[in-house]
Amino acid sequence: MDESEDVPKDFIKLKSEKLSVDEVSELVISPYCGAVSLFIGTTRNNFEGKKVIHLEYEAYTSMAETEIKKICRDVRQKWPSVKHVAVHHRLGVVPVTEASVIIAVSSPHRAESLEAVTYCINTLKASVPIWKKEIYEDEYSWKENKECFWANSEK
Amino acid sequence: QVSVLYFARSAELAGLRCETLSVPRQITSLQLWEEIVRVHPRLAVIRDQVVFAVRQEYVLLGDQLLVLQPGDEVAIIPPISGG
Repeated sequence: MDESEDVPKDFIKLKSEKLSVDEVSELVISPYCGAVSLFIGTTRNNFEGKKVIHLEYEAYTSMAETEIKKICRDVRQKWPSVKHVAVHHRLGVVPVTEASVIIAVSSPHRAESLEAVTYCINTLKASVPIWKKEIYEDEYSWKENKECFWANSEK
Repeated sequence: QVSVLYFARSAELAGLRCETLSVPRQITSLQLWEEIVRVHPRLAVIRDQVVFAVRQEYVLLGDQLLVLQPGDEVAIIPPISGG
């Protein structure tokens, strides 16, 4: 067995088409890994009593990809046994119950991939230049993540 | 001459997504904000919520001195909400 053939990879994609859990988990599967951990962020149908019709996402695409690459690099520093990392984020209109983000991480044993997935989604929400607009029945609202490191510090 | 990119609420307030602006080569981030608000006064309402991304690195609005090159990308970054 030659593990050097299975080089650790990051799979980062921002796209407007529907995301696929099968596709993202298959990207990270490795014969050297016994664990694949997944996070799926889906669209909720309500916010503070208002009915959400759908979400709309936009991104500073080139910088978002760079920031996600930094997150992958941090993951590998903190959890060196992590094998592959995949982050797919949807842009444009995302209907209720559909996925807006899927993160998958593989590692030989489960602790590392579970922790790494948590780190990925938390850090993505704090640092990646992507914006979400919630569309209600008669208005809309640009959302702000509480993790956003400047919005809270300046208040 | 730098490329200024507007996103999310800042794009709605400015009414556009990108433009070229002439600014001094050396300028603090706060002075740069003030130049942009001169062109797009409606942006003033979000002053306390935004940061810049200069050459794709985050910069808070303040005294930080920026050294800009022609063609540099400067983006207005409202509070993010990915994920």
